[in-house]
Amino acid sequence: MENLFVSMAAGIRSLLGSGGLSEWATDFLVMFLKLGAILVYILVSALWLVYMERKVSAYMQCRIGPNRVGPMGLLQTTADIGKLISKEFIIPKDADKKLFLLGPILIFMPPLAVFAVAPFGKGMVAIDMNIGVYYFLALASLSTVIIWMAGWASNNKYSLIGSMRVVAQMVSYEMPLILSIVGVIILTGTLNMSDIIHAQENVWFIFLQPLGFLIYLIAAVAETNRAPFDLVEGESEIICGPFTEYSGMGFAMFFLAEYANVVLVSVMATTLFLGGWLAPFGLTFIPSWIWFLLKVYLMIFLFMWFRWTYPRVRVDQLMEFGWKVLVPLSIANIFVTGIGKYLYHSLGW
Amino acid sequence: MQVKGKGLLKGLGITLKRFFKPKVTVQYPEQRLPLPDRFYGKPEFYYDKCIACNMCVNACPNKVIKLETEAVDKKKVVTRYDFDQQYCLFCGLCQEACPKDAIKFSKDFELTQYNRPDIKIKFVKPEQVEQRKEEIRKAAAEKAAAEAAKAAQEAALKPETADKEGT
Amino acid sequence: MTLKTEEFLLNLGPQHPSTHGVFRILLTLDGETVVKAVPIPGYLHRGIEKLAESRTYTQVIPYTDRLDYLAGMLMNWGYVHAVEKLMNVEVPERAEYIRVIVGELARIASHLVATGAYAADVGGLTGFIYTFRDREDIMDLFEMISGARLTPSYMRVGGVADDIPDGFIDKCRQFLDYFPTALDEYNGLITGNEIFQARTKNVAIISAEKAIEMSLSGPVLRASGVNYDLRKARPYSVYDRFDFEVPVGSKGDCFDRYYLRLLEMEQSAKIIRHALDQLPEGPIKGKVPKVIKPTAGEAYAEIESSKGIMGTYVVSDGSTNPYRVHFRRPSFVNLGYLDEMLKGWKIADAIAILGSIDIVLGEVDA
Repeated sequence: MENLFVSMAAGIRSLLGSGGLSEWATDFLVMFLKLGAILVYILVSALWLVYMERKVSAYMQCRIGPNRVGPMGLLQTTADIGKLISKEFIIPKDADKKLFLLGPILIFMPPLAVFAVAPFGKGMVAIDMNIGVYYFLALASLSTVIIWMAGWASNNKYSLIGSMRVVAQMVSYEMPLILSIVGVIILTGTLNMSDIIHAQENVWFIFLQPLGFLIYLIAAVAETNRAPFDLVEGESEIICGPFTEYSGMGFAMFFLAEYANVVLVSVMATTLFLGGWLAPFGLTFIPSWIWFLLKVYLMIFLFMWFRWTYPRVRVDQLMEFGWKVLVPLSIANIFVTGIGKYLYHSLGW
Repeated sequence: MQVKGKGLLKGLGITLKRFFKPKVTVQYPEQRLPLPDRFYGKPEFYYDKCIACNMCVNACPNKVIKLETEAVDKKKVVTRYDFDQQYCLFCGLCQEACPKDAIKFSKDFELTQYNRPDIKIKFVKPEQVEQRKEEIRKAAAEKAAAEAAKAAQEAALKPETADKEGT
Repeated sequence: MTLKTEEFLLNLGPQHPSTHGVFRILLTLDGETVVKAVPIPGYLHRGIEKLAESRTYTQVIPYTDRLDYLAGMLMNWGYVHAVEKLMNVEVPERAEYIRVIVGELARIASHLVATGAYAADVGGLTGFIYTFRDREDIMDLFEMISGARLTPSYMRVGGVADDIPDGFIDKCRQFLDYFPTALDEYNGLITGNEIFQARTKNVAIISAEKAIEMSLSGPVLRASGVNYDLRKARPYSVYDRFDFEVPVGSKGDCFDRYYLRLLEMEQSAKIIRHALDQLPEGPIKGKVPKVIKPTAGEAYAEIESSKGIMGTYVVSDGSTNPYRVHFRRPSFVNLGYLDEMLKGWKIADAIAILGSIDIVLGEVDA
């Protein structure tokens, strides 16, 4: 079980190698398959998360949630997507047609690209990049531009307000997000995801960096535009924000991309703070990739739990909280981490 | 918004507790809640009870009920009792007004129809009217026959009174 | 360098998730800040006052259900109260008690919707579901006593339509016993939440003087610290026999307006409990002729509905139809101060402020 996916990849590689393909072509094909598998994982995961969100919210609200389509309503999202595909994609008359169409196409790009460096298990990383964390931070903030573009192209006032909020929110919360990660990087001295996980073999960084984790958690909720920081969509205020004018599959793409982003930040949180695929309490008989997914979905449950408990903050409170609380706190966290590390080294523990 | 997490944590506790508690949803088409006796659902009309007094028609705020009668042998026969349900407020004033309980609301609340004309309920069927008319005619004929026989009997005894009663 | 900025207009509604129906506010925005607000009601106008002129006195009752459709019982009551005043009808004691019971239940139901919808307005959808879950119990009680959940048409001139059915009192007591735990849940989930408090405290403060000046009523007035509840100030029906308090806010901000409703629900539950204990036997309908034909004249009567003072003005010309009926709809009057209240706040606040007034569009537009 442990090496299921790793040996699958090795098997395919040797199969292709024995088929007389050159090494270069084999590498290319295997990489292609790996990325394809990640793509499938993200899409299935997004579908599952929509279902999970509906079930979790229902259970928290004394309801049962979807239970008609398929066993336990498992095929509900599939049916929903089928419905959305069959719906008309309405383009408003005064919309910027090209940008309007480009939005839902591009929105899946940043999360997909980032997943290439995510370590799903022991040796299960598509591209073991030595600047993995940096790559994640660089690409994850790209979706801001895409959402802003979609909102601007819609030529709708609600969309405009929503997209302006996206820019303001993402810029303000990118800052504490990065600063909270810096603490981990000081401790490990590497940007490589696998190395960061290996560095947590003795103790997870959530225990060494509790404040860093908390700041990361809050900033991650804001980054994914989920309640209590869902100002971008802010259903009761600005209808659906930048996505107001999108219908059918265009809307579905944004909807699913939101979940892909949730998986993404949860993967990062797991890698950076929860010990990645490392098994706790020496329970190594459970495969590492199962541990990884377990931790990821635990994080996602946490996000959902927040969403279905808290009301939304106001836009000025959001800015105030980001700049006046989170940024100073995260800088203080870096300071304390630095001093701690220096003391640790100089005392020779 | 200071760092006072107590209220925030309490909220999380409440939602988590609810997560594991039993749910309140009723799985509707399979499971149904019992309806109270006073429920105003689909109206029911009892043709035999109706005395065509027009009370329900006058009581209705929205003029939903259309009642038409025909006089057969000096007796009112209800030939039409249309209930245009789409305008009904389900206030129950017609039921309250009826002296004979001829209109009553049942517990059936699934009143949707695919076509608009189907919403209107036509309670009186032509055969019912025919039957009623027949009954009245029959009763009248029997009565007339009985009276005629009686009159003939009496006429044989007192010819002058028979002229008056014969009509 | 100075950037040139421009204000823009935003139509909030008539189709919008949180205008509680079809209400429209024309906002002039400077970025996210409201510069000017023009409320434009009227999208749900059905002309109930005009319709009443071509209906008999009894036939108007089902229409009053559709005024404030979240507290149909209270709207029934307001109307029949005025007609009774016009006709000088004595309402039997038992009927008055039943009215108090269903009226207070309606008040709780209406406040539950207000509380839940307010939680949803500020973004917490779970609170909405919780309050609706408990409102369902009240709806079941209404269904039991009147045959309908939302539009009971239960009151009649001179009394009520039907006596209390079997099992109603037990079920009602059961609900009252359960209700405090539900209130605790709302307080934990919504009231105590710091984000909620940050969103609502000190937002759109109405001073007591201003509230009186704008003739606001109901929870909106009392949240500003004015102790004026018709049930206490000018007791009608049998309200003078119950022992209850009138909760009063201190600041007059959105939080006070929200929290006051929770406190009022507690008091309503108390009143229902008293009324159930004291419920006398007797007839449920006074001496009212079958055809209601008041002598020419006019009457104005007020009750305290869940939104404020609900007044009904009835003019009779001696026929079976009212010559004129006018409703003083509390949420319409309370809306009068909205444009001033919205000025200077953010869009998100505009929703929170509108929600705190607790309007029902059926009542605003009649």
